Amino acid sequence: MTNLRRAITILGITAITASGVTACGGTKSQTAGNSATAGKGADINVTMTSFPDYVDPQLSYTVEGWEVLWNTYVPLLTYRHQKGDPGTNVVPGLAKDMPEISPDGKTYKLTLRPNMKYSDGTPIKASDFTYAIKRLFKADSGGSVFYEDIVGATDFAEDKSDTISGIVADDASGDITITLDKPNGTFTNVLGLTFAAPVPPSTPIDKDATNNPPPSSGPFMISRVDAPNSLVMERNPQFKTVEDAGATEVTDAQVDKIIVTQNKNNSAQVTGVEQNTIDYMQSPPDADRLSEVKAKFSDRFRLENSINTYYFWMNNKTAPFNDVRVRQAINYAIDPEALNRVFGGRLHPTQQILPPGMPGYDEFKMYPGPNMDKAKQLLAEANPADKDITVWTDDEPDRKRIGEYYHDLLNELGFNAQLKVISGDVYFTTIGNTSTPDLDTGFADWFQDFPHPDDFFRPLLNGENILPTNNNNFSQVAIAANDTKMDELRTGQLTEEARKQYGELDKSYMEQAVWAPYGNEQFSTFVSERMNFDKVYYHLLFAHDYTSFALK
Amino acid sequence: MLFVFIVVFCLAAPLWADHVAHTGPNQNHITDKVLVGGQLTDVVAPDGTPLGPGLRGRYLLGADQNGRDVMVRLMYGGRTSIYIGVLAAVITTLLAVTVGVLAGYYRGWIDSVLSRILDVVWAFPVLLLGIALGTTLALGGLRIGGIQIAGDSLWIPILIIGVVYVPYMARPIRGEVLALREKEFVEAAVAAGKGPLRIMIAELLPNIISTIIVFSALNIANNMLLESALSFLGAGVRPPNASWGTMIADGYQTIYTAPHLTIVPGLMIVLTVLSLNVFGDGLRDALDPRAQIRPGR
Repeated sequence: MTNLRRAITILGITAITASGVTACGGTKSQTAGNSATAGKGADINVTMTSFPDYVDPQLSYTVEGWEVLWNTYVPLLTYRHQKGDPGTNVVPGLAKDMPEISPDGKTYKLTLRPNMKYSDGTPIKASDFTYAIKRLFKADSGGSVFYEDIVGATDFAEDKSDTISGIVADDASGDITITLDKPNGTFTNVLGLTFAAPVPPSTPIDKDATNNPPPSSGPFMISRVDAPNSLVMERNPQFKTVEDAGATEVTDAQVDKIIVTQNKNNSAQVTGVEQNTIDYMQSPPDADRLSEVKAKFSDRFRLENSINTYYFWMNNKTAPFNDVRVRQAINYAIDPEALNRVFGGRLHPTQQILPPGMPGYDEFKMYPGPNMDKAKQLLAEANPADKDITVWTDDEPDRKRIGEYYHDLLNELGFNAQLKVISGDVYFTTIGNTSTPDLDTGFADWFQDFPHPDDFFRPLLNGENILPTNNNNFSQVAIAANDTKMDELRTGQLTEEARKQYGELDKSYMEQAVWAPYGNEQFSTFVSERMNFDKVYYHLLFAHDYTSFALK
Repeated sequence: MLFVFIVVFCLAAPLWADHVAHTGPNQNHITDKVLVGGQLTDVVAPDGTPLGPGLRGRYLLGADQNGRDVMVRLMYGGRTSIYIGVLAAVITTLLAVTVGVLAGYYRGWIDSVLSRILDVVWAFPVLLLGIALGTTLALGGLRIGGIQIAGDSLWIPILIIGVVYVPYMARPIRGEVLALREKEFVEAAVAAGKGPLRIMIAELLPNIISTIIVFSALNIANNMLLESALSFLGAGVRPPNASWGTMIADGYQTIYTAPHLTIVPGLMIVLTVLSLNVFGDGLRDALDPRAQIRPGR
């Protein structure tokens, strides 16, 4: 009897412990606002599998970050708040008009709208734009690469000068003149990115402002940050000053508050949206829930086309990936269909850098396969001395699984691979720090910043852009001829000929197998019953537009 | 008996993997097909749904979303969990006995210093301390003297678990040694000219051996539970290696469509821990007659 009683007690305790173990990773249950409070005045709950990398307009460079910050910090120019291709058009934001560009393409003149204020009541000044660009360089932003053509920017970055001589801002008149070293066909586009959004000089110039974000100029302001767990966005009480100044392209919010919470459990997020305790989940449902969601919730779920490329980066500078044959072998060995299944069928297979929908895209497949025999043959020829490889990926379920797939594949090819899975909210900052040890290969993706092929080459593959921190050239590619070609193409307009040459550049990089690209991912919109599903849309650059969030 | 059966089951993993399932625990078969009811079926369907359990050699318990054989991972995972549980218990026992005997025998400042160190370790909740150490060491690994342990090595969770439980075993041992220290046989040994080391090894240790054995058995069960919790939280066994904790972590994401991926490793943990606890209780009864409940007295 004694033993039986003990056994029952132990079983009970163990079961409670086991359920406790499961509960440790469970979701923090949230209750969405009362559906009776429909329309303006209600709060909505948003979940993200990974928290934004930074809550700082000059530093953030992830989909999660941009989705939050696009409607919080408005640049001089911005992108139209519309779905599909119209959303890729640059329109005036805080500037009165589109820039006046000199005939030589080197000088941009803009004028700031008058009498606008940040969310804390501080006036928005023309010199705040200069300050934002200075921050990009002083805080080692990954986005600084887009603004290096501004005269004096490089000297400022290298502490040779206290000012960026190529930007002249007059606070009295609001006039801003930007001079470039050379013409830049993408500069209007990059002026519309949140990197260039003016911030007041009270923002630390060389530090991440995530824990105390600068006051906002958009329809929302960030009222609380508890990184990496949650943040709260509320209506900007001063946004009327921006509207009154004539910024009609910057649309107003339709809800009062958005609570963004990190939730690592995709399945719990799906259940939350299904049961209306979560209003919108940023990540698409995982493969195991996707078919169920598609079948049962077609009135509030749809797949969205997105312009992106998913790839495995390989450090071209160190062994074994400094041998092109090794990199080519990886490209031959990867099975995009296997990875498509990991993503629940949401991945369009690819083997090139530019994604469909991007100007210059010309479909090709240089390494037909999967062809393990060819891969092994190339590896036998290369015979790399160093076969110890560290494979990096993050802990979002589908990314962890593709990391596991890649790890197994490398071992099958004869490498001694070690998998490192780290948290999604620090993943890109970790692999983007070139002093991190063992940066051999791993998962990465890239979503278009603006509709120009230069965006897929310059930050990711240009040798000049191997940065010590916030690096995006994870493969550490430096091919001088391609860098020159890239620079040359950017000085002109995106003509048919230029598109063709960008297509050739794509092929040139893939001949060197600098990456192992494998897919273009579809995203999704999945919202609670109380959300107005028809109004919510996916923006091609900034993902879901939070100003389109409205209750029924 | 149950524990012995589970150990045998887990030790048979390579046999099952090589001769029945024909796959290793980390091998992906996402686009493979297997015969199910005479028909070739995807191990992982194009929409990402993995094959379910069924009465067959390969994929007896189905596949996970990477097309890995769950049965093979369960067996290898058990080996990992038991391996960590036992080796961590050995480390805990060695450290705890050393600290407990030294502190109890010498008393004074040595006791004070060692006890305060134990208090510091004890002050942290075991799970939190394990997570903190696990996540820190996972990235850069651990270097002890000239020995480098990689971040994904099983030795990382073994050492973490082995260290965090030391106070839980060292404290009672110290208490017992403090009491034994006052007994006549120790005074007799001192009078006979035996040195401290000899007294500790030859006189004290045999008298606390039953405590050590019982604690060690119970410690294995606690270690396995902690390993599962740490692995579930991503601070224990590193992916893609299987342990019952990592299997629950992988499986709970698919609990709606494939609950067996979570339930089966969970049940294995419950059964193993239960059997070890009953075994530990039995050992205590057998080795310490004073602790036995004797009806009729």
